Parts: sequence; structure tokens; C-alpha cells
Amino acid sequence: MIRIAAVGDIHYGDDSTGRLLPALREVHEHADLLLIAGDLTRRGAAAEAEVLAAELSQVQVPVVAVLGNHDYEAGEPERVRAAIEKAGAVVLEGESATVRADGGTVGVAGVKGFGGGFAGASGSSFGEPEMKLFMATTELAAAALADSLESLASSDLRIALMHYAPIPETLQGERLEIYPFLGSYLLCEPVDRIGADLVLHGHAHRGREKGVTPGGTAVRNVAEPVLRHAYAVYQLGG
Amino acid sequence: MDAQDHYLAAEIQEALARDPRLAELHLDVAVVGGAVHITGEVATIERRDAVLDLVRSRFGGRDVHCHVTVTPTEGPQEPEAIG
Repeated sequence: MIRIAAVGDIHYGDDSTGRLLPALREVHEHADLLLIAGDLTRRGAAAEAEVLAAELSQVQVPVVAVLGNHDYEAGEPERVRAAIEKAGAVVLEGESATVRADGGTVGVAGVKGFGGGFAGASGSSFGEPEMKLFMATTELAAAALADSLESLASSDLRIALMHYAPIPETLQGERLEIYPFLGSYLLCEPVDRIGADLVLHGHAHRGREKGVTPGGTAVRNVAEPVLRHAYAVYQLGG
Repeated sequence: MDAQDHYLAAEIQEALARDPRLAELHLDVAVVGGAVHITGEVATIERRDAVLDLVRSRFGGRDVHCHVTVTPTEGPQEPEAIG
């Protein structure tokens, strides 16, 4: 059995020092690894990431994260990434990482993702260049996710980690009008085509935790305001 | 709905997103009869105070009802078995 701790949307800023530290210090008592589903910072400033990095450096299990839209606001996502990685965590963007735990190997395919909407109510790559660019951003993220999942074929467990939502079910509670800004079905298609044991996302603070892909894979929205805890713990493979 | 109230609510919502103390996209703003009502959740007490400060300093001279709470950080919840 492998235990996965997960949270997203923790939005660290210069006012966050110590906020999650007590819970982070004891992750190893509950889980074999910690996954963070984006929006590590309030507005993507490197100084904010350093506040979080100081706390992540005290986590005693491997940490794998993706960035979220907030981590791009200050225009320095590469500095956010560098700060987090300096603390020993791995940040994925269209990449994969493998973690060895007592219960086996866990492959994590990570991507921020983007919006677009869901099957039957999705934007199309049509018309103005701006609209084509919008949808191409999501299509590229989905293609990178597919490649990352395929690269993990030999892992005992495969987790798809993203910020934006792959299904509308875990958005329920958000206003329907903003669904296209919260995720895209394109992020779900590789999961059902290639396979994964669990999909984790954040971004939808007013959504709900539990959902499932059309192909039957469990999806969990781990945005902290949804969990109402510092992190959730999921047990797989046993 | 009063047109002034309508556009003021949108303007406050945008200000909450752009204020670097907040970068807050997840609060609900309603303006009714000139009175501002803000609901939702933020990560820290400092951000809750900043919401009130922003609205009072930039959109002053009106009633402000701030029902913003701070996200709890207890951890973790009970484990869930998947699959």
C-alpha cells in the first residue's frame, strides 16, 4: 500500500510563515509522499516561494508539485520553480518523476494544464488567433501529460497531477459560467486513453473533492479550501 | 439591479484580483443599494484585513459588510482508500 498526501491552492505569501508548518512536519506519519496541485504562491513572486520552500525543507517525505495560474502572475515562474526545487521538492511541467516507496514505485505525471471547458461546452481552436492560442495552450498541456503518463508505464502506480480540472464533476459548487476557466476535458482524455490510478487537481476552491473520469479513474480536487484540512491522504495499491 | 451597483461590484472584484496583498479571485462581491457585501475565504488573517482596507480606502463612504473567513489548516483528514 502507498499513502499519498495531497493539497493544492495553498497560496503562500509573506504573511504565510508557519501556516502549514505543523501539518507539514508530520506528513511522514501519514503518507509516503506529498503532492501539491499548483498555486503554491499568492502571486508568483520568488520571495513568496521562498517562504514556502523554508517549510517544505522540513518535510520528511518526497515532495512533487506543479505550478498553478497564481504562480505565473508576477511573471517569474522559473524563479518560483527554482526556489521550490532548492528545498528538495520536484516541480513538474509536462514532465514525470518516479518516487520509490516501501509499497512500490509511484510515477507522477505533472502539468499545470489550462482552461477551455468540457465536452459539449468547450471552446474550439477556431476563429481569432487569440482563441486558437488559448486552445493550443490546453492542447499542448494535454499532449505533454500524455507523453509523461506513457513514460511511466513501468511504475507500480501512476498519478496524474495538475492544477486545472480534467472533469466538471469536481467543479460542482462553482458558478457554471466560469467552468471554461477552471479546466478542460482535454486534460482527461490522456488519463482514460493511457491509464492512471488517480488524478489530482486544484484551482476550484468552491468545487467538491470527489469525482471520476468517464473511463472510471478517481479524480480528487485537493484545493485546500475544498479539503478544509492541510492535506488529504489517499491509500492506493493495497 | 441598479447599474451603478452592478459596475461597482465588478470594479471591486477586479481590484481584489489586482491588489498584490490579495491576488484574490475567489471572493463574491455584491453591491446592493450602494452597500458592499463581500463573502468567501482567504488564506490568512492579514488578507482578510486587507480586503476591508482595500474596499474602505478605494471605495470609501459606503457601508461595507465583510463576511470573509480564513481557511482552516488542521491536518490531515482521515485517509481514503482508492481503487
